[in-house]
Amino acid sequence: MSGAVALRRPVIGSVVRVDPVPTSRSAVDPDDAEVGRRFAAGEEQALAWAYERWAGQVHGMAVRAFGPGPDAEDVTQQVFVAAWTGRARFRPDESPLPAWLVGICRHKIADAWARRDKQRREAEAALTEAQARPGGPVTAGVDTAATDRVLLLDELDHLGQPQRGIIELAFFEDLTHAQIAERTGLPLGTVKSHIRRTLERLRTRLEVDGAALHA
Amino acid sequence: MQHCTPEQLALAALREPLPDADAAHLEECAACRAEVASLRRGVEALAVPQLAAPGAAVPPPPRVWDAIAAATGVSAVPHQDAAPAAAAPSVPPPAEPEVGTVLPFRSRRRGWLAAAAAVAVGAVIGAGAVAIVQREDDGGEQVTAIALDPLAGNDASGRAEIVRRDDGSRVVQLELDAPQLDDAYYELWLIDRDVVGMVPLGIAQAGSNTYELPDGLELGRFPLVDVSVEPLDGNPEHSGVSVCRGELET
Repeated sequence: MSGAVALRRPVIGSVVRVDPVPTSRSAVDPDDAEVGRRFAAGEEQALAWAYERWAGQVHGMAVRAFGPGPDAEDVTQQVFVAAWTGRARFRPDESPLPAWLVGICRHKIADAWARRDKQRREAEAALTEAQARPGGPVTAGVDTAATDRVLLLDELDHLGQPQRGIIELAFFEDLTHAQIAERTGLPLGTVKSHIRRTLERLRTRLEVDGAALHA
Repeated sequence: MQHCTPEQLALAALREPLPDADAAHLEECAACRAEVASLRRGVEALAVPQLAAPGAAVPPPPRVWDAIAAATGVSAVPHQDAAPAAAAPSVPPPAEPEVGTVLPFRSRRRGWLAAAAAVAVGAVIGAGAVAIVQREDDGGEQVTAIALDPLAGNDASGRAEIVRRDDGSRVVQLELDAPQLDDAYYELWLIDRDVVGMVPLGIAQAGSNTYELPDGLELGRFPLVDVSVEPLDGNPEHSGVSVCRGELET
């Protein structure tokens, strides 16, 4: 279907190839799509190629979230390790490899935020408990946004196309519904109703799992 | 007046502007506002700059690949700067993210964007926009001059003057005080208040720059004067990384 195909372009376009020394790439190196196929097939060289081409983009995102340093490096490392170990889930025909890596990077950033948040809460809870024993159940402040993000990114993974592409353009490329319609070639009304249904779906996920998690 | 449609409320949750009648209804209607708020929680969790599409690339240090190779057991080695052996010479320093404030703002919607712009602009309106119509030494009259204040976390700043020449043409004269960039360049933009429409005026260097304004361009429509950092990627859009900004008083 043409809508889903058209959706891939902006995603590819947003991922800038990292190639500071273009001449160093040999003429036999495969194109990006071929790297994706070989990655999915488990060819080790494809992991090295993927790293050459997209580690800068992934690390750039991590640095934007955490600043330069060990936290950002951890995230970058986790992204490539998770991509490699989870390569059976990568569908080279459905999405370009760099877009898939960027999606994993969002998860890893959100996971790191949630971990930090949990540690902070545990530290606060321990302090509260030590100070105020005996007491009722400890209810330290919860940064619901950190846990919301982890849940919602997971929910995005379960969206089909073109819903996923549409909401990603709205969330991550900051496009209006009119711009999304233009980019994807989908009718305005279709874009609007997909946006509506996806936001409802995210709301439901928060109401069901979010409530359970925060209880 | 009828309630807004569910689709419009979803767009409102994304902070898209609604048609006037619907916007007016939303103002007044508690039920519609509650619906927007409930849909917005997801938007606010995910539509954050840190999760936006990748901006400037930052090559990771070689130890990152070492750790990946150790964790995966993969023995293939990436070329170029990513490879441990070839680490040193060609690695550009990860300059951009430190230089620029990340404001992915290709659109009009985001609350945080509006807030960021308001912070950047607030001081300027108070202090910067001063001289209206002064005679310039080199012919023409200065219509207005504003300070471009650094956006959080970097030390670029500048001053922009709009000058009307005697032949009626207009130019922007930019004085930019900003650090040298590796693998990136500065660009000057005029941007509308909704941060949707943008007029790229051209590459900017530290020091003095002059840009011709297109005849008929309404400055009142594009009052934000913005200097961005652009990677050398050939993408003509604004990178979303701005280093300093001011607002023309209109």
